[in-house]
Amino acid sequence: MIRSIRLQRLRDEMAQAWAVTIKDMRVYYLQPPMIMFGLILPFFLFFSFSIKRDVGVEVGIARLLAMTTFFTASSAGPVIIPMERRMGTYDRLMAAPMSLATLLIAQTLVGAFFAFVASAVPLLVGLVWLHVIISNAVLLLAGLLLASLAFSAFGLVFGSIPVQSVGSIMMPSTLIRWPLLFISGIFIPLSEMAPWALALSYLSPLTYAQDVINHAVLGAGYLNRWLDLGVLVVLLIVFLIPAARLHQRSRVLGY
Amino acid sequence: MKAAIEVHELTKYYGDHLAVNHISFDVRQGEIFGFLGPNGAGKSTTQRMLTTLLEPTSGQILIDGHDLARDAYPAKRIMGMVPEESNVYIELSAWDNLIFTAQLYRVLANQRNARARELLETFGLSEYRGVKVENFSKGMRRRLTIAMAIIHRPSLLFLDEPVPGLDAQSARAIREMIRQLNATGTTVFLTTHDIEEANQLCDRVAIINHGQIAAIDTPERLKAAFRQVQSVEVALDPEGRLDRDALSAFSGVTQVIKAGDKWRLYTEDPSSLVHQIVRFAEENGMRVIYLNTLGPSLEDVFLKITGQEMGTVRHENNERGTKRAKMGGRQ
Repeated sequence: MIRSIRLQRLRDEMAQAWAVTIKDMRVYYLQPPMIMFGLILPFFLFFSFSIKRDVGVEVGIARLLAMTTFFTASSAGPVIIPMERRMGTYDRLMAAPMSLATLLIAQTLVGAFFAFVASAVPLLVGLVWLHVIISNAVLLLAGLLLASLAFSAFGLVFGSIPVQSVGSIMMPSTLIRWPLLFISGIFIPLSEMAPWALALSYLSPLTYAQDVINHAVLGAGYLNRWLDLGVLVVLLIVFLIPAARLHQRSRVLGY
Repeated sequence: MKAAIEVHELTKYYGDHLAVNHISFDVRQGEIFGFLGPNGAGKSTTQRMLTTLLEPTSGQILIDGHDLARDAYPAKRIMGMVPEESNVYIELSAWDNLIFTAQLYRVLANQRNARARELLETFGLSEYRGVKVENFSKGMRRRLTIAMAIIHRPSLLFLDEPVPGLDAQSARAIREMIRQLNATGTTVFLTTHDIEEANQLCDRVAIINHGQIAAIDTPERLKAAFRQVQSVEVALDPEGRLDRDALSAFSGVTQVIKAGDKWRLYTEDPSSLVHQIVRFAEENGMRVIYLNTLGPSLEDVFLKITGQEMGTVRHENNERGTKRAKMGGRQ
């Protein structure tokens, strides 16, 4: 009897997570500014840092995939929850018979899904236009999937900070996310980094995504591919913990 | 009968500020319970704690017997909530908003469409079902918010200031809807600053002030308990010969307020005061052109309890054959 109730509750929570995912997709992600941001920014970054730098096509695509996944997955999290708070719709979600975990998972999923789809664009450009040969397609899919989830949860940490203004979140979010580009083996390979920079790079979630994508696209990386995948899984869980704590803190503070 | 809401020693601190101070009350199944209070009294804080949006510092809340601190899930399933600001997704249509809410509350898939259609019909939104809510008027958004709050047929509905800012027609329609919902067994917790609304709708009201429950009873009993806020309204001709000092000199008058072309004199003994006024008019060659005795209104009780000055209100509604008040502006 209790098992049956628990199963029903689990089914309910899954259905609710899916409902929130679809709603977020329609309300936030499938909007022209978001689509433009998700697709154009990574190309802009890529060309900014790659032109006249004698970068091979495969290396360029690997970088572009990592950047696209990182920026698209981690961008919406800091925006959606403060916006929902401002519009009052956050209360609607929090008052619904749904656990906080379900809400966080739903919002992680939607960010990850968007990033996963967005990363298909540079991948298709590479495959069709530049004739890039992917060394390990399964590893690439697994890497992109896990990186999307981990980065989406990373963005959610910022979004969960108890404030109502999007601007208050964007500043710390930008200050932390952008420097990661320079210490994660994207523009300077890990093998060429100074020891202090290499030590710093291990603190960046983007390092492991770039490395596993390098394994998948180029057939070689700096770290063990399984270590990369494992760290991304751990980071997904680790990022959800402060997000949940910050949400609980919001309930105490009244945001 | 099990209470719909039981609150024991509920307390909320924001930092060092005590917003809600050890309040206890219960709301019976099937009643419309009004929660009144001036700005900053703690009414919204209390409602947010009751709806699980805010964590109490201490105290206990039972919703239909379920302790919110232990497991809010069964309580959330039977609650509906209409916040002060209409919280709809403006990028979605009315239909999509309703269906999303039905999904959140796990309304069975084969019932969702029928209920959404029924609610759109009830709230006069059928022809706008596919229109994005960003194109809706304030009144339409309000109606949609209420429709979303009841799509899962909650047995307990929280309404926070449901009608302010709406035109008279929309406000009346929403009040009628509240009565209908209550008639079908829904318990209603109505947070409002509109005293006349509470007077018309509520079986019982609680008045909260400075984070504490100052009074809780039926509107009529509360009025009866405040005999000192009975009053006499008078207009004499010629008016120019009447002033505040002369009226204040009458025996038993506690306060004198100018109300348009009339004067309102508060007293515990209206009968004696009427005699004094008539005698005064006769002695001074004046004519009584208006004289009316008024029992304490819920507004008088509210103002007395919350310590606000009487006469700071706009008088626009009729009650018991005389003009009665609704507080002007937000509280």
